[in-house]
Amino acid sequence: MSGGVYGGDEVGALVFDMGSYSVRAGYAGEDCPKADFPTVIGVTLDREDGSTLMETDGEKGKQSATTYYIDTNQLRVPRESMEVIEKLTELMFEHYNIPAFFLCKSAVLSAFANGRSTGLVLDSGSTHTTAIPVHDGYVLQQGIVKSPLAGDFMSMQCRELFQELGVEIVPPYVIASKDSVREGAPAIWKKKEKLPQVTRSWHNYMCNTVIQDFQASVLQVSDSPYDEQVAAQMPTVHYELPNGYNCDFGAERLKIPDGLLDPSNAKGLSGNTMLGVGHVVTTSVGMCDIDIRPGLYGSVVVTGGNTLIQGFTDRLNRELSQKTPPSMRLKLIANNTTVERRFSAWIGGSILASLGTFQQMWISKQEYEEGGKQCVDRKCP
Amino acid sequence: VASCFTRARPTAAECLQNPWIQGDRPPSKHTDSSLTMATGADVRDILELAGGDDSGLISKKDIINSDKKKAKKVTETLTFKRPEGMHREVYALLYSDKNRDASPLLPSDTTQGYRTVKAKLGCKKVRPWKWMPFSNPARKDGAIFHHWRRAAEEGKDYPFARFNKTVQVPAYSEQEYQMYLHDDGWTKAETDHLFDLCKRFDLRFIVIHDRYDHQQYRKRSVEDLKERYYSICGKLAKVRAGTGTETKIYIFDAGHERRRKEQLERLFNRTPEQVAEEEYLIQELRKIETRKKEREKKAQDLQKLITAADTTTEMRRAERKATKKKLPQKRETEKPAVPETAGIRFPDFKSAGVSLRSQRMKLPSSVGQKKIKAIEQILTEQGVDLNPMPTEEIVQMFNELRSDLVLVYELKQAYSNCEYEQQMLQHRYDALLKAGGAVTPHSESSGAPDSQSWPGADDIKTEAKEQIIDVVGAPLTPNSRKRRESASSSSSIKKVKKP
Repeated sequence: MSGGVYGGDEVGALVFDMGSYSVRAGYAGEDCPKADFPTVIGVTLDREDGSTLMETDGEKGKQSATTYYIDTNQLRVPRESMEVIEKLTELMFEHYNIPAFFLCKSAVLSAFANGRSTGLVLDSGSTHTTAIPVHDGYVLQQGIVKSPLAGDFMSMQCRELFQELGVEIVPPYVIASKDSVREGAPAIWKKKEKLPQVTRSWHNYMCNTVIQDFQASVLQVSDSPYDEQVAAQMPTVHYELPNGYNCDFGAERLKIPDGLLDPSNAKGLSGNTMLGVGHVVTTSVGMCDIDIRPGLYGSVVVTGGNTLIQGFTDRLNRELSQKTPPSMRLKLIANNTTVERRFSAWIGGSILASLGTFQQMWISKQEYEEGGKQCVDRKCP
Repeated sequence: VASCFTRARPTAAECLQNPWIQGDRPPSKHTDSSLTMATGADVRDILELAGGDDSGLISKKDIINSDKKKAKKVTETLTFKRPEGMHREVYALLYSDKNRDASPLLPSDTTQGYRTVKAKLGCKKVRPWKWMPFSNPARKDGAIFHHWRRAAEEGKDYPFARFNKTVQVPAYSEQEYQMYLHDDGWTKAETDHLFDLCKRFDLRFIVIHDRYDHQQYRKRSVEDLKERYYSICGKLAKVRAGTGTETKIYIFDAGHERRRKEQLERLFNRTPEQVAEEEYLIQELRKIETRKKEREKKAQDLQKLITAADTTTEMRRAERKATKKKLPQKRETEKPAVPETAGIRFPDFKSAGVSLRSQRMKLPSSVGQKKIKAIEQILTEQGVDLNPMPTEEIVQMFNELRSDLVLVYELKQAYSNCEYEQQMLQHRYDALLKAGGAVTPHSESSGAPDSQSWPGADDIKTEAKEQIIDVVGAPLTPNSRKRRESASSSSSIKKVKKP
């Protein structure tokens, strides 16, 4: 038997995890993806760059290599509708001629990556936050709860904050040089000369990266629901934008992410129909059979890049323990390393594809030819 | 500690002759156990000196029969070398120099025992690996994949195929369905769909319920699905088994499951207030039960006391009548078991030989200080001598007198306790009545119901009740209070000792 891994059998599979923020790709059996690139398509039109992504065609990133040396392939794609799935399958087998293929839901893989086959997977990415109950390795589709409050929502709020402060977001590619200014003063910088003309979308994309950097480094979730006095006493964090504008951010650090957890205070939301993250979790569990609820609460898996905000997991823990009956044993599983949390679905796929007992589950080319596109629905749970 | 119990202690002279003390001492390679009395043999063993066994052991004949020829020296027998890594004392338990013959019957392999085995890398040649195609017998299409495998294992079966276990889901034919499995609530298509899902998901009913096509068929709960499935399984098993064979059928009680789940739901959705209320009620129940037990115990004690008092008086009267009338005393019939708690029980002095009669007059130590004081007080009041001359009659009468005095004292105490209790309860009853009465005139007076006052009155009422209820603990009689204080004082002593 090959491999020193218990129960492992390396077939040489590729694992792709396509999110709306980034695509993760690599070989099965490894512990982190080899390639992690943004999910954006660049189209060159006469030396001009850019448009943004459509999800179905998201494979071709700018740096992707489309030659596959090895035979098998496993994909993980947001399951929006059957047409997407079937189209993808068709694409894989007919266009790329791969020998075998398998699709798996990212929630199941995230749970596997944390060593569990049953649990509630809370995935907070860039476009949406979802709570997905997984039972025995199968997703309970009727318990899925989605909320659009996620990374992009926070980026939008940050952008509004900067607009209020009257600060212009200038991406780094524009800046030739900058001078240091004192805190709060308007930035002094010089624009690069001979800049090629860029499309609007590309410029927006670059501005977004600036905002996302701010978001990742400055924002924090407080332990308790947002309170003006408490927030005012929080230590401030100094942040400097690429154009030299620097400022200390105190209360805003806490205010913006609090919209995730308690949307009633957040600006720009139509009505109070949005659910905070705590509510999302409890609603999802509430829709499941009562017999499995303790199992779900006992392994709440927290994944997704948006959850890496400082203090997110502690606050979530607190919220959930308030909302559940006192006899319920609540356990949150949140990996501490950035890599593991962002890539947990990919890692789960890597684990799955290298198991010996998984080798019978691939959809081979022969099966596809016999069964057609519908075999995906049957074979992939 | 351990090493020297098998050997005799050497004398001081012998110790001084020991080369270890005289010569320069080579550094000890072993860490000795702390504070042992090392004999010469031990020391030599420690230092791994050669010395034979006879010189270490000083036997009696060496000292006494020194003039006789020494016994032929024992030939050098095989010394078992202590295996590496074994402690000296452990080895001495197995093979001491003297009793070498006490070795185990089966030779044990000491090469590996106390050593950690290290992996020997690089000993053999590398076994070559090959990129081999393989087919998985668990797959239906016979697809060929490739993986790395040792060249030696070519051709062997795929080891993971044996993990492909499936649940046995029974399949029925059309006829069987028409004959046995027909049900009004389920169409054939729906039943087929259910069984298809069961097979796909290995009877994981929760997942099946999740993937069930609710648009096409009716909305079914998990219990419905289970019920249908198990009833079909049961019927098929019965039909297929034929007559005479006893088949074990799994009976699924759907009603029970539904009720259970409903109960769980309710339990899950309890508000914290309900939980707190339940806790409170349980505590109150416990309190009530303990109080009840205490009351019963007290009643029993009182009862005992009263019966004791009654029977002693009865007995005395009977005795006196008997002695007056000089009738044979019917001691056997009238001797109820006098409870020991009433009065004093003087131990029957059955001594062998001579003893002083005044011993019989002595109060047993079990009588408490208070009772002794009470006895003394009454005796002095009545002008009775505290220590009368111990003649036979006097001793007996004196003991009886003291016993009766104690009984009287206990009865008096019980009586005062009961009085006190009764007064307390009377007060409480009056207070309760007053509180209850306070609400009704208030409500009558407020014609237009004042929304503020109503909850106020309710609050007062409940508060008063709570106070009253809380006060009803074990009634604090003067004695019990003191008892409680003394009890708490002992614990306060403990508290003081802590820091």
